[in-house]
Amino acid sequence: MARIELKDVGHCYGPAGGRLEDYALQPFSHVWEDGGAYALLGPSGCGKTTFLNIISGLVHPTRGRVLFDGRDVTALATAQRNIAQVFQFPVIYKTKTVHDNLAFPLRCRNVEETEIRRRVQEVAALLNLESSLKKPARQLTADAKQLISLGRGLVREDVAAILLDEPLTVIDPQQKWLLRRKLKEINTALKQTMVYVTHDQNEAMTFADHVAVMDQGKVMQIGTPQELFECPQHTFVGWFIGSPAMNILPCTVAEGGVMIKDKKVPLPALAKAAATAAGALELGIRPEFVQISDTPGAGALGVDIREIENLGNYNIVMLDLDGLEIKAKISVGNPLPDRKAFIRLPEKSTHIYASGQRLNPGT
Amino acid sequence: MFVLYRSLKYFVLLVWSAFVALPFLWALTTSFKTANGVVSGATYIPWLQYEPSLEGWKVLFRGEGKGIDIITPYLNSLTVTLSASFISLLLGTLAAYGLSRFSWRAGPIRNADITFFFISQRIMPPIVLSIPFFLMLRMLGLLDSRAGLVLVYIALLMPIVVWVMVDFFNNIPRELDETAMLDGCGPLETFWRVILPNCKPGLVVAGLFCIVFGWNDFFFAFILTFTETQLLPVAIVSLNSSVTPWWSLSASSLIAVVPLVILAFVIEKYLSSGNLAGAIK
Ligand SMILES: Nc1ncnc2c1ncn2[C@@H]1O[C@H](COP(=O)(O)OP(=O)(O)OP(=O)(O)O)[C@@H](O)[C@H]1O
Ligand SMILES: [Mg+2]
Repeated sequence: MARIELKDVGHCYGPAGGRLEDYALQPFSHVWEDGGAYALLGPSGCGKTTFLNIISGLVHPTRGRVLFDGRDVTALATAQRNIAQVFQFPVIYKTKTVHDNLAFPLRCRNVEETEIRRRVQEVAALLNLESSLKKPARQLTADAKQLISLGRGLVREDVAAILLDEPLTVIDPQQKWLLRRKLKEINTALKQTMVYVTHDQNEAMTFADHVAVMDQGKVMQIGTPQELFECPQHTFVGWFIGSPAMNILPCTVAEGGVMIKDKKVPLPALAKAAATAAGALELGIRPEFVQISDTPGAGALGVDIREIENLGNYNIVMLDLDGLEIKAKISVGNPLPDRKAFIRLPEKSTHIYASGQRLNPGT
Repeated sequence: MFVLYRSLKYFVLLVWSAFVALPFLWALTTSFKTANGVVSGATYIPWLQYEPSLEGWKVLFRGEGKGIDIITPYLNSLTVTLSASFISLLLGTLAAYGLSRFSWRAGPIRNADITFFFISQRIMPPIVLSIPFFLMLRMLGLLDSRAGLVLVYIALLMPIVVWVMVDFFNNIPRELDETAMLDGCGPLETFWRVILPNCKPGLVVAGLFCIVFGWNDFFFAFILTFTETQLLPVAIVSLNSSVTPWWSLSASSLIAVVPLVILAFVIEKYLSSGNLAGAIK
């Protein structure tokens, strides 16, 4: 249990001092509060594992410092950091029984045998592994093996953090759901700091209080699931989170509004924010916030309805604005105009981006 | 169809066992024959076809007069083979672990080059090595000694151990090492407590190779020892004379093969108990 602080931490697998673009993890700073449930979300190869390995000490960062509870651990070896990490594929000690697997971290720390037995029993009960304690670990199913990996972290009461690197990849879907709930329970019950790595947004959103979205070695945004949904700080976050993804529309600024394909949308605050910005401008709005009606009016844009996709209790409506595709997500009950429609973009749910970066209309 | 398959299977097994066992039986009968029994064509059944005699065996244990004392070379061979195998296994496994897990470089030389360097030692024909070995042992004053032979065998066996074990370690996921470190092991503890127990199959293969090679080697033992130290294969060959003593040669070969047969049985048991299969995946 520890508060983990990263100060300007970055890593490059190549020779140190290379260009910043070559960094597998670009330098950044953040604090992971004690007992928090965090998720690290990003596409394959974006540096998630590198990030975890820096915390656990398996990788020594090219630059920056790592602090646990204010103590600098950057130079400490993995064994001294007291971190638990669960990998994508279950790692067990094949030659040992389940009990000895769970006991191993304590044996390494010369804990008394009676105490070991007590802790192992406790953790086995928590993970429903009691009945298989005496079995050779290699005979267990993949999900039970993954529980053992987790258990080896939980037996240590003082573990600094539990890092989970796509732990549910090899688990079948039903078990997945159960295990994820179990993880959440453990986090609430034991108040262990947990960092959960995944490329699945639903997994991240359901598990974590705070999610860090990464892309190509950069941490794009860290926030609550709601913040990521309502206010993506980068077009990548808008695109990566949400289903379907955020609508990203190229635009320019005009007097008192924003021009999309020669059509003016009255979004004065956004236009003001973007007035002095450099780089390509884009407008972003989530399909959930696009309003459709069959009546023209002030600020409404005329569009063609191209396709309606029924996804159970809501429809995804594909709209065509002079060749630009816009998606809207509408509850099934709501009536839809046919062929021709008008959309409105509410200003408080619409964001403007310059070179991908969100411009804050408040300033 | 099933019956046909079964009978075919047993037929093949039968032929194969005969192929494996008959040379031993042949040596066994021969070891109890005398000159008369051997030269008068093939005979198989004792007392009926030939008069059994213990002459062939006695020759091996007669310390004085004619014949040889096979016990000393036997013990020499055991000591040399086991020490050389043990040391090669120990050093080779450590080297292989280092080559598999850490990156080394000296100028343009990298891990793969070092590994190849080890293996390349075995590409040379042994005869090329005999003179350098002879000169080096003479320089160290280790000619005609067990220690000298152990050194030579280590030089010959370690590359094989490294070769087998590097491949084996490369197939063990790095996450296993990492897990051990996360659980609180230092690098050496990780190796001893976690990695090595997972390597039994590789160790068995490498160890088997070392022991078989060491036990059977005649060439280097013959060149590098003279009178003080004699290994079993050299002792056996020294039985030979102008009249080939088939009986004692057979007897000594049978004795010589005993440790390897025992080894084969032990490993067979280890194999059949599923240790090899289960330990990898
Ligand atoms: N040991 C290494 N040596 C060199 N490059 C590496 C090494 N490990 C990772 N990389 C590179 O660093 C980048 C980030 O890798 P990382 O494993 O952290 O990604 P990830 O987000 O965990 O991906 P995934 O979802 O596939 O697990 C990748 O481009 C990868 O190729
Ligand atoms: Mg990864």
